[in-house]
Amino acid sequence: MRNILAVVSGADTIAAAVLLVLVAALIVAAAVLFALVLKKRRKEQDAIVNEVSSQEELDARNAKIVASGDFSEFDDEIEAKRERIFRDRQAAADRELPPDPDALLEVRHLKMYFPLKKTIGGKVTVALRAVDDVSFKLKAGETLGIVGESGCGKTTMGRAVLKLYHPTGGQIFFEGQDIANYKPKQMRPLRTKMQIIFQDPYSSLPPRSTVGGILSEPVKVHGIVPKGEVKDYVLNIMEQCGLRDYYYERYPHEFSGGQRQRICIARALSVKPQLVICDEPVSALDVSIQAQIINLLRSLQQQLGLTYMFISHDLSVVKHISDKIGVMYLGSMVEFGDKKSIFSNPMHPYTQALFSAVPNPNPDVKMDRIVLSGDIPSPANPPTGCKFNTRCPHAMEICKHIAPKYREYEPGHFVACHCYPQEDE
Amino acid sequence: MSTEAKDVKQAKKERHYLTGKEIRAIVKQNNKITRALEKKKKRKAKESEFLTELRDPSNILEVEDLHTYFFTDQGIVKAVNGVSFDIPQGATVGVVGESGCGKSVTSMSIMQLLQGPYGQIYSGSIRFKSYDFKLDEKGKPIPVWEEDAEGNPVYDEVKDRKGNVKRDKQGNPVLERRQKRDEYGTKQFEMEEKTFDIAQMPIKEMHRLRGRQIAMIFQEPMTSLNPVFTIGNQLDEVTFLHFPGSSKADAKRRSIDMLNLVGIAMPERVYKSYPHELSGGMRQRVMISMALAGNPRLIIADEPTTALDVTIQAQILDLLRDLKSRINGSILLITHDLGIIAEMADYVVVMYAGRIIERGTASEIFHHPMHPYTIGLQKSKPTMDSEADSLFNIPGNVPNPIDMPNYCYFRERCSHCIKRCFGDYPPMVQVSDTHWVACHLYDEKKEEEKQ
Repeated sequence: MRNILAVVSGADTIAAAVLLVLVAALIVAAAVLFALVLKKRRKEQDAIVNEVSSQEELDARNAKIVASGDFSEFDDEIEAKRERIFRDRQAAADRELPPDPDALLEVRHLKMYFPLKKTIGGKVTVALRAVDDVSFKLKAGETLGIVGESGCGKTTMGRAVLKLYHPTGGQIFFEGQDIANYKPKQMRPLRTKMQIIFQDPYSSLPPRSTVGGILSEPVKVHGIVPKGEVKDYVLNIMEQCGLRDYYYERYPHEFSGGQRQRICIARALSVKPQLVICDEPVSALDVSIQAQIINLLRSLQQQLGLTYMFISHDLSVVKHISDKIGVMYLGSMVEFGDKKSIFSNPMHPYTQALFSAVPNPNPDVKMDRIVLSGDIPSPANPPTGCKFNTRCPHAMEICKHIAPKYREYEPGHFVACHCYPQEDE
Repeated sequence: MSTEAKDVKQAKKERHYLTGKEIRAIVKQNNKITRALEKKKKRKAKESEFLTELRDPSNILEVEDLHTYFFTDQGIVKAVNGVSFDIPQGATVGVVGESGCGKSVTSMSIMQLLQGPYGQIYSGSIRFKSYDFKLDEKGKPIPVWEEDAEGNPVYDEVKDRKGNVKRDKQGNPVLERRQKRDEYGTKQFEMEEKTFDIAQMPIKEMHRLRGRQIAMIFQEPMTSLNPVFTIGNQLDEVTFLHFPGSSKADAKRRSIDMLNLVGIAMPERVYKSYPHELSGGMRQRVMISMALAGNPRLIIADEPTTALDVTIQAQILDLLRDLKSRINGSILLITHDLGIIAEMADYVVVMYAGRIIERGTASEIFHHPMHPYTIGLQKSKPTMDSEADSLFNIPGNVPNPIDMPNYCYFRERCSHCIKRCFGDYPPMVQVSDTHWVACHLYDEKKEEEKQ
């Protein structure tokens, strides 16, 4: 140390400075070179990806490979990139289509990515694809049930539809307007029309305000009724939701779970919404209270003509309340259709396994259960090809490499699986 | 008194409002009781003090008239209030009920894991048939000695720490009789069956049973595993505690065997990893393997699948069923999901507000439920085959656990309420050999039959 100090403080200061500058220059040069090499490699890769110019060409080529059964020269990484490019093109083409006039809510190619790694410039290099290309339509007065395991992106999708997150891509049509790129200020008048009920009634109520305060705040903010009538209006809503009028002065901690969930429902309904997103509203409740809440939700729907998006992992509850059902796996919709067609004819292997896993409250019935091996893979690094191929009992060679198409097999019944024909005959 | 003042008083009573003076009186009384109970738990006792006999030798656990109370400043919470049930050897007994009905407290009482000094087993008995060391007159376990083919004892040379052979003054090597060891290197002792009354056992003696004879699988695997130790470290600890004399290599061998047993694909890798690196299902598997490491006779599974997804739940239930037949143990399964009970249990116990309201075999409870609460519980759960338009719902909530009245707790929510329900709490009525129910509807019918 002393030597270095001596050198620096001595006559060699200039020489040391020159050395330092040289080293710095070398490092910069190496970095630039490295970046150039990376850029070149990326360009080369892009060239390979762009070799196939259209979806038809890709399909024809894939069909050839599938027929030969030889996947040895199949580069999964490039193929995944190619597939994503075509999907984006499809999404861009679909942008021009007019919204369905019958649907209250129409979601097209919705994407919600969360950045995991960024470059210094702020460009996202690795992203967690929580919701990846989901499309569906929901008519007014209907209930859409979304089922799936934890971590499959069902809650994220619900929140993205409400614009509680800013979606990465895709379109969300609510009453014919595309709200996907709306700013928070533009969303404000729409907030009264779409509401959410959260899963945990213990943490979603402010502990320091009374029930009356909780319920009248949104009414005042949005000016639903004139100021003098707020209390009567709130008491009316409370009565509808099965809450006694003397609860008005009480605080949330004085209530049990079921009563709190009623308060949450009353809060959502106090602004006269059209669409209510129920994010696991009964999961935190006891069985006997669950039935009360489900019945309340149904009767309110009949009275007020509400549209629900019901997110739950409990299949029997979803079956009870829904008209349409969407099954999600690892960020994508694998099956979508009417309740009847899905329950009488589950087509996707994941749906079949999910249905068979529900315990049956009859001790004499022994079900031949399809037990899925392993756990749900990480959405940050999903498997190539079909995302379900690592756990699928019917997995084929093609499933590991090529993603299946999301196609309509029966009217209104969409499935993405290689077990069914991928081309029109 | 004006009507307004009356209303305020009524409202206070409804909210269980207590003045400071009342609270102080309650605290004083509670301290007196809990101190006596704590003293009893910490006493030094001979084994003969808590040895008992089973009513039926085919059972492994008998709970009789168990009262477990929590002495809070607001009053005594009778979390378990006179619960009796049996667990036959090799059977699965399911306990169902809503949250707060005392099912977890029952299991905690069996393990003596109640949070003291507030939570105490107040009275009753829990008789458990244990497979314990046979003791000689001095109270020491009797070893099983290794013998050669002719029945002569085998001797080993005693070595010191450096590995040199120890010699006595004459220069002869010091010899030691070799004790029999099992495949994992654990020393063998003579064993016998003993029945302990867990309610009378001092807390220090519980280590004989906990983890060794009775193991527990907790609901939330993330909070039950220690985040700063590896899985291997935590699994080995079980072996070190319950199988004295086993070396590190032996413990590792046993732990990896246990991980294999619960169907973990790469046990060597899981052995070295930390809890946060595993998924929920894997963690629950690790918890189960930890419970199995002590080779228990009874496994208490307290909501083992509540925190898991349906597909993972199916895996874990299959695993539990498979393991039960392999280790020939009994399972006490606590859950609020009737579907799981129907699939797993041989006998079912339905609890409500700290009491058993119905118990019987699984098919009796599911095909001929008697108590209005059991019937309502089954109807209120939508099933995959049901087509009903609206669900049956049980109105109201579970009553406040402090100062429970002496009439049927379910009276306010019951749709079949009769005159007698305004009287005392109904006794348990036997309907068939194995089916018991606590409801006035049935003791009335029985009396009619007699006449």
